[in-house]
Formats: sequence, C-alpha cells, structure tokens
Amino acid sequence: MITYEDQMDIFRLMSRNIKRNMECYAFGGTAMMFYGYKDETKDIDLLFEKDVDRDEFIKALESLGFSETTPQNIYISEKLKEKDIPRMFKRDDNRFDIFSKKIFKTVISPRMKEDIFAIHEFKQGRNLKVKVLRKEHIVLLKAVTERKNDFDDIRAIVEKEKNFDWNYLIEEAVWQYEHGDSWVLLDTEKMLRELKKYVFIEQKYLKQLYSAHGKK
Amino acid sequence: MDQEETLKKLEGLQTVDMVSYALDIKKQSALNLLSKLKKQGYVTTTGGGHQKRLYKITSRKQRKRDKGMFDIINKYSSMKLMPWYDHQVHGSYGSEEALIDAVQTQSFRVILASMGLFNHITDWGKLYKLAKEKNCWQKVGALYDVARLYFRVKKMPLRYQKQKFLKKQFLIKRYNTTEKIYYPIKNKWNVEIPFKTGDIRKVIAS
Repeated sequence: MITYEDQMDIFRLMSRNIKRNMECYAFGGTAMMFYGYKDETKDIDLLFEKDVDRDEFIKALESLGFSETTPQNIYISEKLKEKDIPRMFKRDDNRFDIFSKKIFKTVISPRMKEDIFAIHEFKQGRNLKVKVLRKEHIVLLKAVTERKNDFDDIRAIVEKEKNFDWNYLIEEAVWQYEHGDSWVLLDTEKMLRELKKYVFIEQKYLKQLYSAHGKK
Repeated sequence: MDQEETLKKLEGLQTVDMVSYALDIKKQSALNLLSKLKKQGYVTTTGGGHQKRLYKITSRKQRKRDKGMFDIINKYSSMKLMPWYDHQVHGSYGSEEALIDAVQTQSFRVILASMGLFNHITDWGKLYKLAKEKNCWQKVGALYDVARLYFRVKKMPLRYQKQKFLKKQFLIKRYNTTEKIYYPIKNKWNVEIPFKTGDIRKVIAS
C-alpha cells in the first residue's frame, strides 16, 4: 500500500527524474489522499493530456525500477475491451495506473479542468504539476473504473462530505454521455442505486439520468 | 457515538467549552478527545496564551501544507484573496515565482493583488528568467509600471526595461486599455492594461 508520505516522496522523485516540465490530473485514491479522505491507496491514478508527457513520465518511472504489468484482474473485462485502457506500472507494492486523454470513455471535461480542488507542484528538478480533481469528479470516475474497493471509497467520500453536490455530479455524467461516454449513465445509475442503501439521495437525480438517456 | 459521527457533529471552529457542551462531556474529557483527534490529523489549533484557543475540526485529515501562490500573495499584499483552489508548491517558491503564477492566471483579482509583491522582489534576474520561460516578461514589466504609479516599489534594474516588444499582449484576454493614464505604459510594453484607477485605489485602501 502507498501511504500519503510515500506518495509525496514518489512525486518528488519523479519531478527529479523527468526531463521536461509537465502536468497531469490525479483522481482515484491519489486524489482522495490529497483531500485527506484516506491514508493509503493501492495505486496512483494519473491522467495525461499529452502523449509526450505521458511517455516521459513512463520513462522516469522505468528508471526508478517500475515495470509494466497487465491491467487484467484489476479492471472488469468489459472495460478492458475499450480503446483507452490504462498502462500499469508496478514496483513491489507500489502501482501506477497511467491514462492518456481518456479514462476508458470518460474525457477530462472543461468543468473538470476549471473546478479543480488543488494544484500540487513538485519542483525538485523539473516541474511536475499534479492537478487534483474535485470530489464529485472523483466519485464519478470511481463509478466508471469499477475496481475492487471503488464503491467503499465512494461511500467514504459521500458519508464524510456534508455538502456533496449531487446535481453537479449528475450534470457531469450527462455531459460525458453527450460527449461519447456510453457507459457513464449506466455506471452512475448503478452507483446511485447501491449508495441509496447507505445515504439519502433524492429520486430526482435518478430521474435526471433516465431523462438524459431518453434524449439521445 | 463513533469517531466519524463525532467528527461530523463537531466539524468547524470550536472551543473546548463548545465541544464539551456539544458532546455533553466534562471539559477534561473534551480536551483529551481533542488531543487524540489532533494526533490523528483531524484537528489543528490556533490562538492560545492570551487568546482563546480555537480548534479547527474537519472530518477529513488536515494535511501539512507547503506554501503556494495564494499564501505568498496574502502574506505580502494588502488586498487579500480567498483561494478557490488549494495551490501548493513542494520545492522552492517565493515572491518571484508567485508573481509569475499570478500573471499567468488571467484573473483580474489575482493580478491586482499580485502588485503588492513587487516590493518583495529580491532577485530581478530570477524574475526575468522565469518570465522569459513563460513568455510573459512584457506583462510583468507593464504591471510593475502600473504598481509604481500607486505604491512605493523597489526599483527594477534598467537593463530589464530597455526592450522592444513587437507582439501585443493582454494582461487579461480581450480587455483593452481604457484609461488615459495607462497609455504610456501600454506603449512602452505593448501590453493592454484593463484596470481602472478605482480598482487600484481599492487595493490601496484595503
């Protein structure tokens, strides 16, 4: 498992090892640790918008002893049939899931770019800028990635946050659907149904999802 | 009541008495609880001594922060900003870097507030180098001259000022210069200055 301190050390090391300045988006357990929702994660999830940045980051990872591994058994088989699957790198217990441009079918929307929660810049050699997505986006992406323990993380976020903006999450899901993510409404609906067993979620949000599905 | 519920109940700024009242426990028990939560990272404290000690309690862990652009601006500028995202830099970061980041934001308020940083620039060479990397020296120079109209500002070495700029730039995209007072600066740096004198007076007054 990667602790918060490990994560910060890894990012510092990476900024020393990369050969150019770059930026990426953090989501999943990484983002949850930046938020303070949890203390350790199985993997560091990052998305790069530029392939050159991703390739340079991977080079630096390999120079630190990480080697590529298969995403089989981590993600469900339906997701692995997609074009945009992550490249995964492992060293001992530490794992990186590196996405490029898309997280399966989900893209970084203009709202995701604008409404970020935090920017962490690691400046040991080059500048590695890690943009942490906002909690609603983290939940949406966890619903999309559907890995083991993802639902527990979603529950942890929703139960800890007094002011979780459900409307914002639904709007983002609808935007993603309208922009080519055919999975997102199904994944979000499944997540909401499951969550309703633990927290109060108004029926109107499910209705919004159904009506968005009907429109297309 | 488990810890999660306790944290949710106490979230916000609290004093020991408020905690003891909210949970219906003795003051010493409240102190013990706060101490335990602080060790776990859910509580930070301010005040103490002559002031009443305040406990900031959150249901998320409060991580140790490194300084970022908003911290530097709020430290040195008279106009304070409410950050809309958490900016932290893990490495060396000072007024020079914060000024460049502020100019890059394209945000009216951030750029206005960042004028207060000019008085804390110690390494003009570093500022010039950073600005050149981001292709924004024109903007920094123009902002410096605007700041000089209103504040006492440290002098920028002349070698950084004597340059010709062919390409026009905007401090904030698509906003042109409207006030006559800024025309000489606009012509010198070839940068459009969107401010009105009243905006800057507000910075001075705050």
